Amino acid sequence: MLPLISIILATLAVGTVATFFAGARARWVALGVSTVFLIEVALLFAGYTGWPGYSTSLVPGFSDTETYAWIHLSWLRINYAVGVDGISLVLILLTAILQIATVIYSWGETHRPAGYFGLVMLTCLGSFGVFVALDVLLFFLFWEAVLVPMFFLIGYWGGPNRRYAALKFFVYTHVASIVMLVGLLALVFYSGATSFDFSSIYAAARGLAPEVQVFLFLALFFGFAVKFPIVPFHTWLPDAHVEAPTGGSVLLAGLLLKLGGYGLIRWAVEVLPYAIHALQPLLFLIAFLSIIWGSVLALAQRDLKRLVAYSSINHMGIVLLAIALDSSLGLLAAVLLMFAHGIVSGLLFMTSGSVHHQYGTRDIHTLGGLTPTAPGLATLLMAGSLASLGLPALIGFPAEFTAFVATWNGIGYWVLIPLIVLVVTAAFYLWMMQRVLFGPQKGLPAEVPGLPWYESAGMGILLAFTVLFGILPSLLVNVIVNSPVKGFPGT
Amino acid sequence: MGLGVAIAFGEMLSPGTYTNVQITWLHLPPAPGVFPNGFSLVMGTLVDPLSSLMLVVVTVVGFLVMLYSIGYMHTEHGLPRYYAELSLFLAAMTGLVLANNLLEFFLFWELVGVCSYFLIGFYYEKPSAASAAKEAFLVTRVGDIMFLLGIFLFFYAYATAGPNGGWAANGFVFAHNGSPFLAGVMGRNTPLLTVAGLMILGGAAGKSAQFPLHVWLPDAMEGPTTVSALIHAATMVAAGVYLLAVTSVFIGFTPTDQLAIVAVGGFTTLFAASMAVVHPDIKRVIAYSTISQLGYMVLAVGAGFAMVGLYHLFTHAFFKALLFLAAGSVIHALGTQDLFKMGGLKKHMRVTAAAFAIGGLALAGIPPFAGFWSKDDILGSVYSTLGSHPLYWPFFLMAFAAVFLTAYYIFRAWFLAFSGDHIRDPTLPPPHEGPWVMQVPLVILSGFAIVAGLFVFAPGFASLLSGAGIPPTYTPTDLGLSAISVGLGAGGIGLAWSLWGNGRVYVLPDDSALQPLRRLLLNRYYFKVAYDAFGLRVVYTVARGADFFDRFVIDGTVHGFERMFGAASDRLRRMQSGVVSDYAAYVIAGLLAIFVLLLIVGPYVVARLGGA
Repeated sequence: MLPLISIILATLAVGTVATFFAGARARWVALGVSTVFLIEVALLFAGYTGWPGYSTSLVPGFSDTETYAWIHLSWLRINYAVGVDGISLVLILLTAILQIATVIYSWGETHRPAGYFGLVMLTCLGSFGVFVALDVLLFFLFWEAVLVPMFFLIGYWGGPNRRYAALKFFVYTHVASIVMLVGLLALVFYSGATSFDFSSIYAAARGLAPEVQVFLFLALFFGFAVKFPIVPFHTWLPDAHVEAPTGGSVLLAGLLLKLGGYGLIRWAVEVLPYAIHALQPLLFLIAFLSIIWGSVLALAQRDLKRLVAYSSINHMGIVLLAIALDSSLGLLAAVLLMFAHGIVSGLLFMTSGSVHHQYGTRDIHTLGGLTPTAPGLATLLMAGSLASLGLPALIGFPAEFTAFVATWNGIGYWVLIPLIVLVVTAAFYLWMMQRVLFGPQKGLPAEVPGLPWYESAGMGILLAFTVLFGILPSLLVNVIVNSPVKGFPGT
Repeated sequence: MGLGVAIAFGEMLSPGTYTNVQITWLHLPPAPGVFPNGFSLVMGTLVDPLSSLMLVVVTVVGFLVMLYSIGYMHTEHGLPRYYAELSLFLAAMTGLVLANNLLEFFLFWELVGVCSYFLIGFYYEKPSAASAAKEAFLVTRVGDIMFLLGIFLFFYAYATAGPNGGWAANGFVFAHNGSPFLAGVMGRNTPLLTVAGLMILGGAAGKSAQFPLHVWLPDAMEGPTTVSALIHAATMVAAGVYLLAVTSVFIGFTPTDQLAIVAVGGFTTLFAASMAVVHPDIKRVIAYSTISQLGYMVLAVGAGFAMVGLYHLFTHAFFKALLFLAAGSVIHALGTQDLFKMGGLKKHMRVTAAAFAIGGLALAGIPPFAGFWSKDDILGSVYSTLGSHPLYWPFFLMAFAAVFLTAYYIFRAWFLAFSGDHIRDPTLPPPHEGPWVMQVPLVILSGFAIVAGLFVFAPGFASLLSGAGIPPTYTPTDLGLSAISVGLGAGGIGLAWSLWGNGRVYVLPDDSALQPLRRLLLNRYYFKVAYDAFGLRVVYTVARGADFFDRFVIDGTVHGFERMFGAASDRLRRMQSGVVSDYAAYVIAGLLAIFVLLLIVGPYVVARLGGA
């Protein structure tokens, strides 16, 4: 069998380097790499052996696994170990979709395009690596590899206050990374795992004492949760989004936030089952706080991107809630939500960016009556908002619905909190649309350059997937539930 | 339209055989807890008496409104958007009607809601239209959340009571004659089921604009009149009543729920009718009337007469769509909705005047027009329950009193618009009748408004109505009641004639004791003001306060740490003095610190963690 994951990693790595050196033709190289990546992801789906009855691979349930010795000392066994299951496959699909949409959307980038597209490639390479890594060190390397390109994307291509935002983003997430690394290393050494592999850690961690599990979980949780982000460690997110270029915002919301969710599921929840059980009340508290705080604050925002950023905090709060339920249904809901949020927030950040390109501002109080001058853009912004507030037939609904069913199944009437907050979420989107899209035109240019084809195409791709998976969510669900996670049929 | 009517007639010809097909949309894996067997969301269609009755309404009124739109909308911009949204609405509404389970119902329920949002905001350049669209979405969203919670609660009730101790693997589907769901839940009276029923009532109240979620419907008149006729009179707003009817037939309400539904419906009839009495806007008068009439249907369903409620839904759809389209014809001709600017239109618009009068007579409950039969059926049915449910009395009386107001306000509107010999506002363009595409729907709907009530005497229709096991109860014992209600209706028309007939305009004296009441009614009992104040003053202020907290307290703490580390690093930099003896001192201090850590803290950590 082909070592497909290594081939994809090589594709992305070579593609990244080639893009950096391609000069003015960088966008063509990036588009080529993204297309190949998408095809390879399709092959990965086609060859997925995580379905019930397979489990021929090394780690039960993981598909396309590869393990090679990397650093072997007498007391240290670090491998190059990769593999996918249903959870990572869905997030890899998200990576591929967002990469090609971002490349096409940013087609008009003229400011150092080689650097810009190269960094976009590198971000996606790092994300893909995080999703396939089954070795602690490999995971951490890819994890850090995502921070650097995002730092430069914000710091170089960003808005007027970009240096502050980039530094804040980097320091915040880096401190979290270090705590996470300490947690991961402690996990390896305290559990007495024979190697840095996921499978051996997974097996060894069963023997850890309950209080050690809790301690390790807290360290890991802090590392992952800042990426979510959770309240009160969230203030880097709005600043980063406001200053980031549009493509950066898309990848930041669409991929980077998902790394936190994925890491929490793979390296903390699955490995330390006692801890999540013991810490459930704390996790619920944080999740509810994030859900409420994100939604209420979004109501008060004037900047379109800040509004979407706070709605991300709300949505990722629901993801944390679903994970904290500690049930297979909750995990399914969390992954669906992450996928849905990745696509929809990408679409919303793109529309916000396009509004900025067309009108020179994203200020909700300055904008008004955009629909006559930019009907296409208005439609896309409306579609994204409706998807984000959970309209059926768009992807947000099956994800949120599954999350509510899981919450109801797990903790009963507490589901009222996210349900009632749904009204607030509807309120800030509807109010935003009323002020930005409808009403009389304010003192804005009556003639605007018009939406360039590449921005429409980039947003169109995301809208198409929003509708496709909104109508056929089972395409995703059937993949996710065939993962080696307790309770799923695959185990 | 043809398909829907064909299905409905097919249903009449072969009562008792229902089409029920479905596919699995989403299968959720088993989870310990409420549903250990896994759970499928299915998409299916169920054609039974309830849905075929609704199908006739949706398809017939939908077709006529589409036809009418060709004339009414021809000067507007954005017609592709208009027809696309209207078609999407009809598709979603058909889906809702045919849904064979509550979740599918909810899915299409949301979709018709968003279509309503699009179409209320059709004239999006008008701030009032944009605001009304948002308001409609938000208020119904409150109901939607309750509806969703109600579904969860019903499922939970089923899961704990059902024979297989879990959510059915095939989801749960409406079924006549003994589905497992019915066996598990129906006829029980538990607090859980009561709360679930109240939540369903909340959802229905949002969609059908019942008190206290009624505020959005009058404002929804910002949309084109065709949309008001189709969505906000005949079909979508009736979906709430349909939901209650479906729930009462397939699941059943507890007695407490029934009382709550009767209370909401009965109160709304009078509450909404009273606001219609003073309003100067022709469309809003009809909108309040819609709320009031939906109240009658809710009342009937609550009292246990689901099919009687649907019978009124059926007749109301035709005469209310007729009233709206006739009003649209006036608006099309004059460009105003203000009744006090109109007058004398009957000479210029004979078809419209006749159509509005027929619709008005049907609404006022004058025999033999459609509204008489169904409204009387409701009053008679509820009256028959009063002996065993004395708490229904006040709501029955409210609904009875509303009959008088209904006749008064609709004929006030007719006299103001059509009677007299001249238009009050001379600046308006000369009135004219619309093109044939607008007149034909008026004529067809007038026909329905006259005969739709008589359908109940046709054997096929009667068997359709009785298909759900609850026959319409139009019986001669109600004749006395009928006489009183017709008398009230005629009295209302008479009062309207004496105050507004022949082009008269009645001005309430400034010192009249009724002035405060008039102001209260014109201000819609201050509900809208209060809701807006809650949204803007309370919620938005809280959000702004939270935003301040976020920026200055949470982020301020972050910056505090930043300054702390900055200051510390400044100190550290100054420590690099270049003097070797200083460095030696630091090295010794550092070593000491490490020893202390190892000796004191180390054993504690090892004992706490490593020993485990």
